[in-house]
Amino acid sequence: MEYLGEQLIYGRIGNLLIAVSFAAALLAVCAYLFNMKRPEDAAWRRVGRISFGLHAVSVISIFGVLYYLIVNHRFEYYYVWQHSSTILPLRYIMSCFWEGQEGSFLLWTFWHVVLAVFILRRGGTWEPPVMAVIMMVQVFLCSMVLGVYLGDFRIGSNPFVLLREHPEMANLPFASMPDYLDRIEDGRGLNPLLQNYWMVIHPPVLFLGFAATLMPFAFAVGGLLSGRVTEWIRPALGWAYFGVMALGMGILMGAAWAYEALSFGGFWAWDPVENASLVPWLTLVGAAHVMIIQKRNQESLLSSYLLCVITFILVLYSTFLTRSGILGDTSVHAFTDLGMSGQLLVYMGFFVLLAVVLLIRHRKSVIRRNPEEHATSREFWMFVGMLVLAISATQITFTTSLPVINKIFGTNMAPPAEPVEFYNSIQVPVAVIICMLVGIGQFFKYKRSDVRKVMQSLVVSAAASVIITVAVAWAMGFTRIHYIALLFASIFSVTANADYLFRVLRGRLRHSGASIAHVGIGLILLGTLVSNARSNIISNNVLNIDLGEDFPNNENIMLVRNDTLRMADYYVTYREKRREGVNIFYTIDYLERREDGTYEKAFTLEPRVQLNARMGNVAEPDTRHFPDRDIYTHVTYADLETGGLDDDRAYQEPREWTVRLGDTIINSNSVMVLRSLNKSPDTTRWTVSGSDIAVSALLQVSDVNMKGYTAEPVFVIRNNIAFTIEDVLDELGLKIGFTRIDPGTEQFTITVAEKKGNKKDFIIMKAIVFPYINILWTGCIFMIIGTAMAARRRFRQARQD
Amino acid sequence: MKKSYIIGIVVIAAAFAIIVSTVSKSSTYADFGTAADHPGKVYHVVGTLNLDRPFEYDPEVNANIFGFFMKDNNGVEYKVLYNGTKPQDFEKSEQIVIIGKMKDEVFVASDILMKCPSKYAGNEMQQQNLPNP
Repeated sequence: MEYLGEQLIYGRIGNLLIAVSFAAALLAVCAYLFNMKRPEDAAWRRVGRISFGLHAVSVISIFGVLYYLIVNHRFEYYYVWQHSSTILPLRYIMSCFWEGQEGSFLLWTFWHVVLAVFILRRGGTWEPPVMAVIMMVQVFLCSMVLGVYLGDFRIGSNPFVLLREHPEMANLPFASMPDYLDRIEDGRGLNPLLQNYWMVIHPPVLFLGFAATLMPFAFAVGGLLSGRVTEWIRPALGWAYFGVMALGMGILMGAAWAYEALSFGGFWAWDPVENASLVPWLTLVGAAHVMIIQKRNQESLLSSYLLCVITFILVLYSTFLTRSGILGDTSVHAFTDLGMSGQLLVYMGFFVLLAVVLLIRHRKSVIRRNPEEHATSREFWMFVGMLVLAISATQITFTTSLPVINKIFGTNMAPPAEPVEFYNSIQVPVAVIICMLVGIGQFFKYKRSDVRKVMQSLVVSAAASVIITVAVAWAMGFTRIHYIALLFASIFSVTANADYLFRVLRGRLRHSGASIAHVGIGLILLGTLVSNARSNIISNNVLNIDLGEDFPNNENIMLVRNDTLRMADYYVTYREKRREGVNIFYTIDYLERREDGTYEKAFTLEPRVQLNARMGNVAEPDTRHFPDRDIYTHVTYADLETGGLDDDRAYQEPREWTVRLGDTIINSNSVMVLRSLNKSPDTTRWTVSGSDIAVSALLQVSDVNMKGYTAEPVFVIRNNIAFTIEDVLDELGLKIGFTRIDPGTEQFTITVAEKKGNKKDFIIMKAIVFPYINILWTGCIFMIIGTAMAARRRFRQARQD
Repeated sequence: MKKSYIIGIVVIAAAFAIIVSTVSKSSTYADFGTAADHPGKVYHVVGTLNLDRPFEYDPEVNANIFGFFMKDNNGVEYKVLYNGTKPQDFEKSEQIVIIGKMKDEVFVASDILMKCPSKYAGNEMQQQNLPNP
């Protein structure tokens, strides 16, 4: 059958490029390995370089072809149809690359290519072994997008599969329509959750971080391969700090995205995938520090190796967790399973085995009998710090891996029911120790230091920290002892490092990377502690009775449209809702009461509910930022079905009121009083027949803002049959009828139908104040600048060798 | 003995202690029967909603309590009271996991995880915007 309008040539080019990139990577591995064995043989190096060039050009071209297909909405390709649509704004096009697994593998491959270019240019004698390892990884990554069958086993998932040939689609009726392409309305589109500016930058930065962890690993394994067992430390050190910076930045951007766009009320949720990227960062921090010790006095070679290897393996493991579907629904990040878990395990297994075999083969030179580190040496305390980080990593990894452990051992352990308390029980003490070590570490000298001198130089910052801690704890009402301990420790790490920066280094910029990064870490932990431990939920439902200890959560409050409720210092009004695309925005005014008793609008927040057919509807918060606090608001529940936008205009069943003159009728949004009857109503309002007897009721209506209206429904008797001519008040969404007169009791029956939108229009919301959360973000900036400076310094040192 | 050995042993012991405490503290996946046998103990129960019985959610009375009926994987049904707002799209969830404990023949849940069929790219979703004869 001939299909109309398909452009198959791009897919063929794409597939050819994938095949070339895979083959070129394989060739580059071989060439560089040969070159490593025979460094004098420049021909192999040339082959390696040419293959790398071919690989690099192919990878970038695959990107280009896929980009072209997405921009031109070529929906004959499954990936394009699945991840984009014609209405997708251009600025989110790149996000299509990381919504799907295939695209994100390409992104990862791309970053490796970019980083490898630096090795090519500056690697020198390290080029052959390091490039060999990098290209091994590229072989595996390219195989993830191959989409080739070996018997029944499919290797990789190909981004250029045609829509009509995709296994899920091939049996559908459209696949046999020659003109199906003209009849496709649109692509499935990008998950609206990803249509957020943080999601444009968070994934690529995170993948850059992942890619960066390959470099220390490649140097470590390259060192073993080429028999330069200790020399790899110096050139790898810059990369380790670069990785700490890039991965840290990626994780923190994810946290910022969660805080801005996700509704769990914070920036960190101990989500399995957050954890899975945090752990390699912790081990990479460990690696970078032990590598410094090793560079200084050759005392921690084995731990340098182990931490570099573990970091890279943990990145692969986190890929496995997200992409194998094993996490199920426990995470916002989980991709659907594309049947590649087996392949990912082979990938992971290969590099574990490679590293282990090489380490065993070189065990004699790797494991050395070292002289004991002196307890007053800097390296001793750094080492203790790394072990404490290892404890932190153990807890996080073990807990995150429970689904994997269940699968292997057939157990049925569930993740902790109260994750925050669970993690805090270990991570808070760990953070306290780390902060103390970060504070004292730099005042110790390598090899051996004079304890009295160290103490003397720490006295000032310790004393300052005590004073600040007492003041902050008192002002903010900290009572729990382990929080006060962390408060002190984090403040101490900031003051001690600032002290070191100004007093010891005297602002010598080149050496201040560590101090600046450590100030950053202290600020991050301080900001986390202060903003979270002292966060205040101001939407507490004060009207409700206490429901006992089983129902401690009283955090949500109902707001009917136009009602005003007091929340802490604010008076909060839900004013209106409006729909824009997939989002329903709820306008919430925060008012402040002035001294003269009037209310003044302080600010307006617009949290929204995103109608997300892919993941269910998602509530996105809106946050007002002040220098000293954030006010975070989100809609936890809105009746989208019955009180939704579509049938707002429909009326509910009318309600009957039997009243006398002067009586009041109460509606959900107004009150009205029956003032009088009019025996000669305006007859233009209906088609009058000769026999009609008509009386109208004059109702005076006032809404919640005391604005007045009048309504005049008519009661008509025609040929002994009574009916009513209703009066409609559009502004209030009321339809008022006059259906009966009881002359004996002088009672009248008035019916009031309200628009569904009137009564049902309420939201349940939650508002939280996060005090001083800007300390956290400031800390992030310090940490990133500090690690960048450290990376720069180590790269420079390596170049001078 | 060398300092490094002592520290190493302490760290290994600490890591081991953490794992043991995680295992012993961790709640387990269970059915309603087990939860009913151990009232007050926290379990994760997996099951499906019974949509024939109405939800109980009246935010005007209390926005923080949501009641519904759930069948576990053995078909045993219990009433569940969740301390929170009614999750969006709750009725559309294919499978739910509730975390909490049994109390007086009612399962008191502190958290709910939902499996949304759409997330699993169900057929209806998969075929959206595709031509039909």
